[in-house]
Amino acid sequence: MKYARVGASLAVLAVVASACSGSTASPAASAAASGAAASGAAGGPAIAVKVGIELPMTGGEAPNGVPTANGVALAISQIQVPGFTITINQQDDALNGKHDPNTGAKNMQTLANDPQVLFVVGPYNSNVAQAEIPVSNAAGLMQCSPANTNPGLTQTWGGVDPKTLRPTNPDKIAYVRTATTDDLQGAAGADIAFNIAKAKTAYVADDTQTYGKGLADVMAADFAKLGGQVVKRDGIPDSTQDFTSYVSSVKGLNPGFVYYGGVTTSGIGLFRAEMANQGLANIPLGGGDGISDGAASVPSSFLQIAGAAGDPNTYSTTAGPHDVASDSTPSATDLATSYKAKFGTEPGAYTAAAYACTQVFLQALKDVGASAGGDLAKLREAIRAYVADPSHTYNTALGTFSFDAAGDTSQKIVSYYTFDPSTKDWKFLQQRDFSKNPLQ
Amino acid sequence: MSRPRPSLGRWRLPVGAVIALVVAFLIILFGTLIGPEGTIQMTLGRGVQLAETQYINALTVGALYALVALGYTMVYGIIELINFAHGDVWMVGSFASWWVITSLGVSGPITDPVWLVIVLILAFSISMVATGVLGVIIERFAYRPLRNAPRLAPLITAIGVSYILENLIENLISDSIVTIPRPIPNTELNLGLFSIGSVNLFVIIMAVALMAALHLFINRTRLGRAMRSTAADRDAAQLMGVNINQTIAVTFFIGSALAGAAGVVQGLYLGYSQFQIGFYGGLRAFTAAVLGGIGNTTGAAIGGFVIGFLEVTCNVFGYGKWSEAFVFATLVLVLVFRPTGILGQQQGDRA
Repeated sequence: MKYARVGASLAVLAVVASACSGSTASPAASAAASGAAASGAAGGPAIAVKVGIELPMTGGEAPNGVPTANGVALAISQIQVPGFTITINQQDDALNGKHDPNTGAKNMQTLANDPQVLFVVGPYNSNVAQAEIPVSNAAGLMQCSPANTNPGLTQTWGGVDPKTLRPTNPDKIAYVRTATTDDLQGAAGADIAFNIAKAKTAYVADDTQTYGKGLADVMAADFAKLGGQVVKRDGIPDSTQDFTSYVSSVKGLNPGFVYYGGVTTSGIGLFRAEMANQGLANIPLGGGDGISDGAASVPSSFLQIAGAAGDPNTYSTTAGPHDVASDSTPSATDLATSYKAKFGTEPGAYTAAAYACTQVFLQALKDVGASAGGDLAKLREAIRAYVADPSHTYNTALGTFSFDAAGDTSQKIVSYYTFDPSTKDWKFLQQRDFSKNPLQ
Repeated sequence: MSRPRPSLGRWRLPVGAVIALVVAFLIILFGTLIGPEGTIQMTLGRGVQLAETQYINALTVGALYALVALGYTMVYGIIELINFAHGDVWMVGSFASWWVITSLGVSGPITDPVWLVIVLILAFSISMVATGVLGVIIERFAYRPLRNAPRLAPLITAIGVSYILENLIENLISDSIVTIPRPIPNTELNLGLFSIGSVNLFVIIMAVALMAALHLFINRTRLGRAMRSTAADRDAAQLMGVNINQTIAVTFFIGSALAGAAGVVQGLYLGYSQFQIGFYGGLRAFTAAVLGGIGNTTGAAIGGFVIGFLEVTCNVFGYGKWSEAFVFATLVLVLVFRPTGILGQQQGDRA
């Protein structure tokens, strides 16, 4: 009977395993009040409404979520909408220190159940968005992601129609994003490898998640199109603890460039540290916005994990403009100054984008806020319809843009960064507007 | 009440060892065919490079799993409890070694051999004693009161202890990756037939030495004999004057100290730790223990190496995504044909 017991214990173990990978989240739902007390436009009392924030805030995700959420808080403290008091309902989709799609979907339901929430900024990660879009779509609650880049969230990608993510209202958009997509970020990765690092061969890996795999697939295809050779295409699960055998493969292949599609919490920093340990620090490594998570001094950031003092010879991109257009409001300098004054740190890669998402909401609220006559459900739908309407343009911290019918931004700009040993931080190299200057 | 139990450390040569050798041989044959002179360009359309280095990687990570697996198997052998907290004891050990190494001001490879030896001795001794004591405390307060309770009670307690340890580290120390400076300079040592990284060589020697010491301890000392007799029949051992509580505490101390050593190895070899490494890694090590034959220390060691090989083989061929399926499919196959694991004893006398 002993083995029956072992079997039973294994079954228990399996249950524990699935519980761990799934559903035991306890996000601290905090409604942080923040400024913007306004008197009623028509002389009546101000209507209390909320903007939801759905981002990964804890553990290894803190360098991603915290500066992004701060961007929202900064925007609502600076911009008032007469007739409304705006507070924040904040949710955290990190579970055990890593972003988690199930937690994200539950958080989105929590936000949808709060009648005062009219708009949501988030999420950060594409696989979390995949889980959330069906929920926000069913609730008719508009969400704006500052950072999601997987094309499949809005466009047909890999043969899959994005309408499958919107089973309740397939033709109603309740998801827009200010970040451009990974087909361009991947192209930028190939551009960096081939034209900046001058590599002819590349080892391309991903963390097997929605975002990382999509990014690495595009980079590999575009690198080959430019004339480079992909010597190995690897998938490294995000649960990997021992990267030595993967890095030994790289050592044997001796590629001119290593591209790793994924996020820091999947272990890319550890992969890079292991490369240095095996004497491969001279091979440049590139990644997408998943590794643009702050200076080497930021705990849990890619640069900090890759090497305590940062890692020269690394490249990253972000899915938006760094050098924002002169018509942007506020300007990049003003945003950085007021951010530092309020939070005491440098803004993150998607602070401006989160600010811009909030500006989209505030503009919509200004324009249609009076139409619903205080009925929050009607107001939520009015906001959704306003933002989903491609005819509106927004003047934001990222410059002027509009959303197309699918919910994608009209800006097709990717920014390139490399490590700067003097500041021990990412240094802006250049940005490429793919709408004017496609790869080929 | 008296039931024969799997004996700790008893080496049974027959079928199990033969299977283990055949498996190892197949893996090595497979590797040699694809790797003349250590390198071949394309196999199955995917590159396999540096076959020797990959064997050494497999051996090293296998040694790590084996060290952890020993603790699972020793505890199971003596009180038939699957100690799910054991993976987290390993994790705590890695944090202890991180604390020792950073407190000593080490920030990278140490070139002075005397200082290096001092650092290593301090890291191993402090981590092993800390985790050993932790193991004894866990046993005393979480398992001993439940020793005669229904079997499910200590099992769920073990899972609870596992979460408690994870939460303690997560909330009090660090909720993300901590990088552990690697004190051993990483140089390739040429041993004539093949070359091996200094860290890999150290880890493998350390693990084999600890396993050999454990084997001698169990088979040659009074306490070892007490452990074996308690494992075989607790009540009879007690009647013969064995101090059961002390013997079980010693078993927990040794098993947990080995996990502490594995924690130091984690830092030396992989250079980081995180509060969750005990979950995935512990699962692998537990699988190694079952694969080798739970309750059998030699089996646990062999199981660790087999899993290291399986995992690295998957990674090298570009099937890293499948490594878990592959490892567990192998476990299922072995258990179907040999329910007691590779080296486990036949249980003909048990229903």
